[in-house]
Amino acid sequence: MTKLSLGLCAAALVLGWASTSPAAHAGDASAGASVYKSECAECHAIKEGRNKKGPSLFGIVGRKAATAPDYQYSDAMRAKTDWVWTPEKLHDYLSQPAKQAIPGTKMRYDGLTDAKQLDDLIAYLSTVH
Amino acid sequence: MLPFLIRRARRRPKNMPLWCGLAVLLLLACTDAHAIPAYARQTGSACADCHAGAYGAGAGGTLTPYGMRFKMNGYTDTDGNGIKIPLSGQLIETHSAPARGQSSTELTEADLYLAGRITDQVGGYVKVTADHTAQSGTYNTQLSNVDLRFVAKDLKLNGKDLLVGVSVNNNPGFDDPVDVLPASVSLGPPGGSGPSGTLLNPSSANAPANRVIGATVYGLYDSNWYGEVGTYNSLPTSEQDHLGYALSGDPGRLSDTAYFRFAYMKDLKTQFFSIGLAGLNTKRQLPRTGPSDSITDLGYDLSYQYLGNRNNIVQVSYINILEQRKYGSMPASPTVPGLFALPDGTLHDQTLSLTYTFMQSYGVQWAHLVSTGTHDAVRFGPFGDPDTTANLISVFWSPFGKDDSFTSIANLKLAATWFRFTKFNGATDNIFDVPLGVSTTKPADLNAFSVSASVAF
Repeated sequence: MTKLSLGLCAAALVLGWASTSPAAHAGDASAGASVYKSECAECHAIKEGRNKKGPSLFGIVGRKAATAPDYQYSDAMRAKTDWVWTPEKLHDYLSQPAKQAIPGTKMRYDGLTDAKQLDDLIAYLSTVH
Repeated sequence: MLPFLIRRARRRPKNMPLWCGLAVLLLLACTDAHAIPAYARQTGSACADCHAGAYGAGAGGTLTPYGMRFKMNGYTDTDGNGIKIPLSGQLIETHSAPARGQSSTELTEADLYLAGRITDQVGGYVKVTADHTAQSGTYNTQLSNVDLRFVAKDLKLNGKDLLVGVSVNNNPGFDDPVDVLPASVSLGPPGGSGPSGTLLNPSSANAPANRVIGATVYGLYDSNWYGEVGTYNSLPTSEQDHLGYALSGDPGRLSDTAYFRFAYMKDLKTQFFSIGLAGLNTKRQLPRTGPSDSITDLGYDLSYQYLGNRNNIVQVSYINILEQRKYGSMPASPTVPGLFALPDGTLHDQTLSLTYTFMQSYGVQWAHLVSTGTHDAVRFGPFGDPDTTANLISVFWSPFGKDDSFTSIANLKLAATWFRFTKFNGATDNIFDVPLGVSTTKPADLNAFSVSASVAF
């Protein structure tokens, strides 16, 4: 195999990995705003410092777990001291029932099984900061 | 409040201003608000999270699925951020323009709400209202709807979520989580002259609403299946008087009263639908020293909501209540010798409501209300038919009550409402059967238009 062929194979592998990585799923933030309104807005606000039944989602992407000011988190969530809400982490957490992802959490959510909607939602949340 | 005033009108059928007042009162009833800023402060939520139109009940106030859960959770949900004072108020200024009679502009209602959570398991809703009385020009203070709850959350049955609660309330159906029963939405068809209308409809004559006290036990299984059973007793007439209700509206002595409500509801986030059954069975002595009537209400209801991303919300509901009566007496006609009332009969109340709300702020509601019943020349006058057909059309604007509103401690709704009758006392003309040469009354003469401004804080 030539060096060129090896290079092409490596590039294909990288592209293939990138295309299957959750973080690489480029969601549509504007469509995600609608998903947020129907799936999240009743319990979460995007306004900084405004907590509802759930904590504010302002700056959620990249935020350490259980750190929204003035919100009383569950013990289960506070125990996630090394947990950062990366897009990958949000993707995993929101794709399943919340109580399955973190037993003992206050959050009551059955999970979002539509992959595109989930990508769109995370893309939207990434803009909220 | 409403049944009493309607009945007062019925006692004096030739007094046209009172009949016009009936339509105006129906309009006011439609402004009855269940949602209050105290809940918003308690939960951190916006009014629009629980109500499509971002302001309480009435037009645009139908509960969203999230609001239904808040109600079933016993009004105890919280943002967990300290104790909030469970107190709110509401003022309603109304300009009423009846088809007949004088127009008026006045502060028609002032309300005080004690509502919110006491503990994580105990919460409630209590409304005290001061209603403007057109005849005297004064305000009558009444204990309106009461709903005190205890809930046990986070239970499991066969691996599924289970919620169990107890509601102590004074209005059968007010605690309906699906927000379809007439007592819950404060909207039901008005009946004609006589003991018309079903018990589950607070617009009926001598309805139990606010004049009884009862307890129900309810459960929600797997988030979809709702069941509730309970019983009620009518308050002593002296107690009704203390609470601001005229004795002429007494629902009578009720015994062996059983209430049930079952529903299947499905929240699909962008859509919601429900199908349900409701029933009330009782023995009623009205007057209290008289013979006992056996009354059974059985109703079914359907509802659908398109919620989408909340920018365009459509809510449709239909309820059909059949009441069967076995009367304890068959009084003779006071005017026709040898004519007696029937030993039994049925009454039928139906309400179809359609509401569209744009941006959780602007909306229009249309409701079709029909009340029918078995022809009984002695009980229902003047034609022996209690049949009434009416429509409600309302447009409203609620500028606040959303997440991005500048305040969550106050709310405002402006509404214009038209209540129109197309049939009354089973007739479409000369509804009081006055003799030739006397000015007759058509159903449309009971119509009324109103513009109201409601402020809650």
